[in-house]
Amino acid sequence: MLKTTGVPDKALILTRFPDDVILGKPKAITECYEPIPCNPCETSCPFEAITVGEDINTPPKVDFDKCTGCGICVYNCPGLAIIVAQLKNDKAYFKIPYEFIPMPEVGETVHAINRAGEIIGEAKIEKVTLRKKQDKTALIDVSTNTELIHEFVTIRRMR
Amino acid sequence: MKHVDLLIIGGGPSGLAAAKMAAESGVSSLIIERDTKVGGQLVKQTHMFFGSEKQYAKTRGINIAEILINDCKEHDDKISYMTETTVVGLYPDYVVTVMDRNHKYSKIKANTILVATGASEKVLAFENNDLPGIYGAGAVQTLMNVHGVLPGQDVVMVGSGNIGLIVSYQLMQAGVNVKRVIEAASVIGGYKVHASKLKRLGVEITTNMTVKSAQGNGALESIVVQKLDDDWQFIPGTEEEISVDALCISVGLSPLSNLLSMVGCEMKYVSALGGNVPVIDHSHETTVPNIFVAGDVCGVEEASSAIVEGYYVGLIIGNRLGKTHPHYERLIQDFTQQLDNLRSGPFGEKTRSGLAQLRGEQHA
Amino acid sequence: MKKEDVILCRCEDVTLKQLHDCFDEGYTTFEEVKRILRIGMGPCQASTCSLLVQREIAKYTKQPLDKVKTHVIRPLITGVPLGSIAKEAKDES
Repeated sequence: MLKTTGVPDKALILTRFPDDVILGKPKAITECYEPIPCNPCETSCPFEAITVGEDINTPPKVDFDKCTGCGICVYNCPGLAIIVAQLKNDKAYFKIPYEFIPMPEVGETVHAINRAGEIIGEAKIEKVTLRKKQDKTALIDVSTNTELIHEFVTIRRMR
Repeated sequence: MKHVDLLIIGGGPSGLAAAKMAAESGVSSLIIERDTKVGGQLVKQTHMFFGSEKQYAKTRGINIAEILINDCKEHDDKISYMTETTVVGLYPDYVVTVMDRNHKYSKIKANTILVATGASEKVLAFENNDLPGIYGAGAVQTLMNVHGVLPGQDVVMVGSGNIGLIVSYQLMQAGVNVKRVIEAASVIGGYKVHASKLKRLGVEITTNMTVKSAQGNGALESIVVQKLDDDWQFIPGTEEEISVDALCISVGLSPLSNLLSMVGCEMKYVSALGGNVPVIDHSHETTVPNIFVAGDVCGVEEASSAIVEGYYVGLIIGNRLGKTHPHYERLIQDFTQQLDNLRSGPFGEKTRSGLAQLRGEQHA
Repeated sequence: MKKEDVILCRCEDVTLKQLHDCFDEGYTTFEEVKRILRIGMGPCQASTCSLLVQREIAKYTKQPLDKVKTHVIRPLITGVPLGSIAKEAKDES
């Protein structure tokens, strides 16, 4: 239960995912379920794919036709509540925000972690991006097994 | 005796914001700050802020402090500062007494006074709550993010409001093991995005639980936590011992309003606003004319609201002193709307009902 | 609970037991317990203990919290050396 443990229910998570066909291209998954006064996802999206609206307490809605999965919202979300997900070549690809040092290295094998903080498998670091405009929140491209598409949320380094 | 148009007590987000708007209106101000530099609690906030662009959303608190300080620097001719100086008395003849870093005591007279003193951390009463290693969560944030000192290696956080959740995350970033976040209420108090962020790191959050006692020989070694029922009574047999070398208490803030009671402002205990707050009208003026308030001192909220309140009150004070901002009407409307917007969601409900209670209005 | 191990006022080292004993003797207002126990009279001038004491009084006297008066706040808000005040007075005259 999100309210008591911080872990959203599976049904709630699925409300933020498009179907697997749409996920053939990378899409933003906005895990912001609660009305809080916040809208940087909307204002940072260069494609106007995320809508919060006049009342900034409204949770964001993604237009998957417009979303390119660029990942700009991922590091602009103050709640680190957005990831980008994609299903491609029998793998699940993600772009996740990361704010820990030392940073993982490209090619490194890491633990795949679910929303409860449990290890659910392995993942591979594909790319690490940390430009100045990201203001210290790195964007990490990572790949893992397709069956983890709705489970995976972050990584944990093995050493 | 020094004489100023506007004396601002507290150089935090609301004090700085007010100084800027007052300066734009043509009013000179003097900011008195107890710390070595202005910026208030923003200087230790390493996380990105919420809100909208107007309140510097997605900017880290520490950088928002820089923005506000630089904005004030543009009005160097109008804004002056006394840092490492504490206001020790506020009197009905609009005289304040201050003590500086060298213990020099002096008096300043002001035409208008803005009290923007913020809030302080609430504490908890439990067995051995004075053992070294027991901290306020905000204190730990200062220790860690300003001074680069870790509070310990194994920590339990008491309280799951935004401060508790954010400081827990920052402790993890600093390499400290946060063993658990416990919350006396039946639900997590802060934003769930913060809770989820922490949960992903493997930090357990337990509701209906509080700290019962602390143990240690000269310093904290362990705590006993216990489950609570819905009436906040301990459930027998649910005690659990956790070994920790630091305990962070994050059970809310209470307004630092003692200067206001001292000068005779009418005060009211409003639990939704954090404790004793001054009775104010819509212009944020207290019952003592020309004494205004902004920020947490008149109700504990997020720093975003404190900034906007500061801007708003700065405009009003300018107007009161006969120096109206060139865009007064438009800006007043804008800031009012921003505050309404920040407070309109479920998390703003406490502030909305608290303010209504404070102003003696019926809350819809 | 070992009330003698629960500190309410850190500045003056006043325990919950001392406060409750005071209540039992009939002193149930903040101003009274302040004078007897020095609670809230240290360097922080009750900014830490005020709410705790208020809650204890509310519980003991079975009043809602907002009906319990806290202490009267007077200058100075923190310790000031008397010499500093004397010097200021001399400079001004």
